[in-house]
Amino acid sequence: MTTELIKGKGPGGRPEPDAGDLVLDASGVTLRFGGVTSLDGVELSMRRGEILAVIGPNGAGKTSLFNSLTGAYVPQEGRITYRPRAGGEHELRGRKPHLVNHLGLARTFQNIRLFGALTALENVKIAAETRLKSDPVSIMLGLPNARRAERASDRRAHEVLDFVGLAAKLNELAGSLSYGDQRRLEIARALATDPQVLLLDEPAAGTNPTEKLELEELIRGINRELGVSVLLIEHDMRLVMSVADRVMVLNFGKKIAEGSPSQVQRDPAVVEAYLGASAEPEEAAEGADGTDGGGVPQARDGEVTDERAAQDGPGKDEA
Amino acid sequence: MSAEALVRGRAAERLRTVRWYQRPRWKRLGAMIALAVLAVMVTGVQGTQRDLFYALEENLTSPLLLVWLALTVGVWAVREFLSPQVKAVSDGYRSVVEEPRGKLRRAWREEKWLRWGALGALVAAAVFLPSGLERYWQTVLVDQIAIYVLVAIGLNVVIGWAGMLDLGFIAFFAIGAYSAAYWTGALPVQPPMELNNFAVIPVAIVTCLLAGVLLGAPTLRLRGDYLAIVTLGFHEIVYLTAKNLDDVTGGTGGVKVERFSLDLGFWSYEWGVIDPMPYYYLLLVFIAVVVFFFWRLEHSKVGRAWTAIREDEVAAASTGVNTVRFKLMAFAIGASTSGVAGVAYASKVGYINSENFVILLSVLVLAYVIFGGMGSIAGVLFGAAFLVWLPEALRDFVDPKDRYMYLGVLLVIMMIYRPQGVIPSRRRARELKLSESGESDADAMTEPAGGRLS
Ligand SMILES: Nc1ncnc2c1ncn2[C@@H]1O[C@H](COP(=O)(O)OP(=O)(O)OP(=O)(O)O)[C@@H](O)[C@H]1O
Ligand SMILES: [Mg+2]
Repeated sequence: MTTELIKGKGPGGRPEPDAGDLVLDASGVTLRFGGVTSLDGVELSMRRGEILAVIGPNGAGKTSLFNSLTGAYVPQEGRITYRPRAGGEHELRGRKPHLVNHLGLARTFQNIRLFGALTALENVKIAAETRLKSDPVSIMLGLPNARRAERASDRRAHEVLDFVGLAAKLNELAGSLSYGDQRRLEIARALATDPQVLLLDEPAAGTNPTEKLELEELIRGINRELGVSVLLIEHDMRLVMSVADRVMVLNFGKKIAEGSPSQVQRDPAVVEAYLGASAEPEEAAEGADGTDGGGVPQARDGEVTDERAAQDGPGKDEA
Repeated sequence: MSAEALVRGRAAERLRTVRWYQRPRWKRLGAMIALAVLAVMVTGVQGTQRDLFYALEENLTSPLLLVWLALTVGVWAVREFLSPQVKAVSDGYRSVVEEPRGKLRRAWREEKWLRWGALGALVAAAVFLPSGLERYWQTVLVDQIAIYVLVAIGLNVVIGWAGMLDLGFIAFFAIGAYSAAYWTGALPVQPPMELNNFAVIPVAIVTCLLAGVLLGAPTLRLRGDYLAIVTLGFHEIVYLTAKNLDDVTGGTGGVKVERFSLDLGFWSYEWGVIDPMPYYYLLLVFIAVVVFFFWRLEHSKVGRAWTAIREDEVAAASTGVNTVRFKLMAFAIGASTSGVAGVAYASKVGYINSENFVILLSVLVLAYVIFGGMGSIAGVLFGAAFLVWLPEALRDFVDPKDRYMYLGVLLVIMMIYRPQGVIPSRRRARELKLSESGESDADAMTEPAGGRLS
């Protein structure tokens, strides 16, 4: 039953993201760790209802940007303004992670962080329950409001798991799911809190080509059917080019380009940034031009990039 | 080749050769013999002032040494030379037991009546068996087992479910006990009005709740070992206050506390001084109610949120779980359970002084919880009951002063071979398995300070 989940947007009826209507509007975000500046005056403007991809070589500061937006890190400088659908403005910088989540920003993690000893259903219920009121006393006494909340969270969790296609694996332990399913479960957990903005940190890393295609569909579905704005970090250029409305490029903590996927691809600054790291974006983009999904460049390139990051990280810093 | 190189080569040669007694097998034999000597010194006669070597002489010439040697060397010999045979036998045994055990397990999981039947039998045993015991054991059952079971159930909320290491849990027990003393007018300072012992229970719950929040609020940012130190300090503050503020608390001299009594107008009852059984039934009701409430809590939103926080606090917070609120809740709920136990203790024993609340007890309660199985109510019930009973039972067999040493040995062996506890909780057992395979690290004690993010 995804009917309740789908809000107001008919199939395929996504309103064109409006350039003036920004859900997220950040400026001058600067985050330093001792001598390392991971974010250096980053600007981010995200339109309501769009899929915005954040790309950049390893260590560019993409995850740091996510952590700053969601309250996990507190940037030293800058403003992060969030405008929910209901109106009003909220400053996100320095807000506690759970409060950011309550405002409507949900995220996934680059290195999957599920509750491994709990079942898939329980993982999602935990998220759904953060929106329900029930105090420990009424739970202990088994009062009606506690039972209602329990049923509601159960229903909600089932819906969301259905939506991401994990309905058959409800009672499996999160830790024993396949990599692709774990990524999907993380997305389900994020969706269960009914977000307006979903932040996905390399959701395709470590998944196989089939799973990548399914993921692409899922991201589109979340965006089109649920009307959720998606901020996507991804190294797989084919996925980025096919799914993103706009792309922003980070390098050494600075934004070096922004625009439509094709614009960004031709941008000399971007080519330059990537030439130092690898020729991957161009190769991958060619794969995307070939249109059919069979031509995905590497099966597990997420992990490959991670390994490469581990190997030549220091060398790159010197360069 | 220079002479120096030759010498060095020979020295290296000598370093490389492994003599027979350096082989692992013979090293293990040496260790076993040393263990036998240690064991005989510990279990044999004690030293006296007259002669420094009295105990050494006595023990090393006593037949007890031979018994220990036979035991340890026997274990060694079996492990070294007969392990294939032992394995064959145990495999054979396992294959015979496998099927009925699997069936039993499946039935246990699927048949509701089986579980209810077991629970019913357990409750019936708990209700009817103790009246047949000797008075001494009845007293042990009430004064110690029942009370510490209640405390351990409370600590289980904090450490087993929320994953916070609390080394000062008896502080709340003390606060509960002194609340009972204060509100029944037993302390040198008089309360605004005197209450019945039963009426003190909600008051003590609120007091301990507040104390729990008071301790928790500033310390929740800390993790693992740091939190443990703070709770340790908290215990010492409470203990030393009770000890040194003697014009308020009675100090080490202690105060007399009234026993439980109930007067409903048409019916009144007094829990007497001599017979422990009425207290036993009262405490049984307390324990049953608490277990029932906590069982609900564990399988609710709150229990799941605690598990989430314990497994990955960062992910939990990013998922919208108010981690501070739930941790405080765990602290407060655990503390108030301990407070109830404190009231019951003071009102049963009828006399408290500061020495009833020493730090050793905090450590012991922690051991009960870990031994039984953190996070599992059944485990904690068993762990507390067994480990409180054990030293009492050992009183007849060993030097009473050594009793806790045997407890220690048991704990060490247990932690090596079954770290998840006697009856582990399913979630906890899974976490342990995951962390062994390096996938997650959900231990209250090994959480890195500061945490990692990416
Ligand atoms: N907690 C931290 N402490 C110190 N330095 C950090 C921390 N987090 C990130 N950094 C630094 O910030 C920089 C950006 O890291 P970040 O993880 O944001 O990169 P990324 O773009 O996500 O890279 P990748 O593609 O490898 O995931 C790196 O130089 C990193 O070392
Ligand atoms: Mg990253």
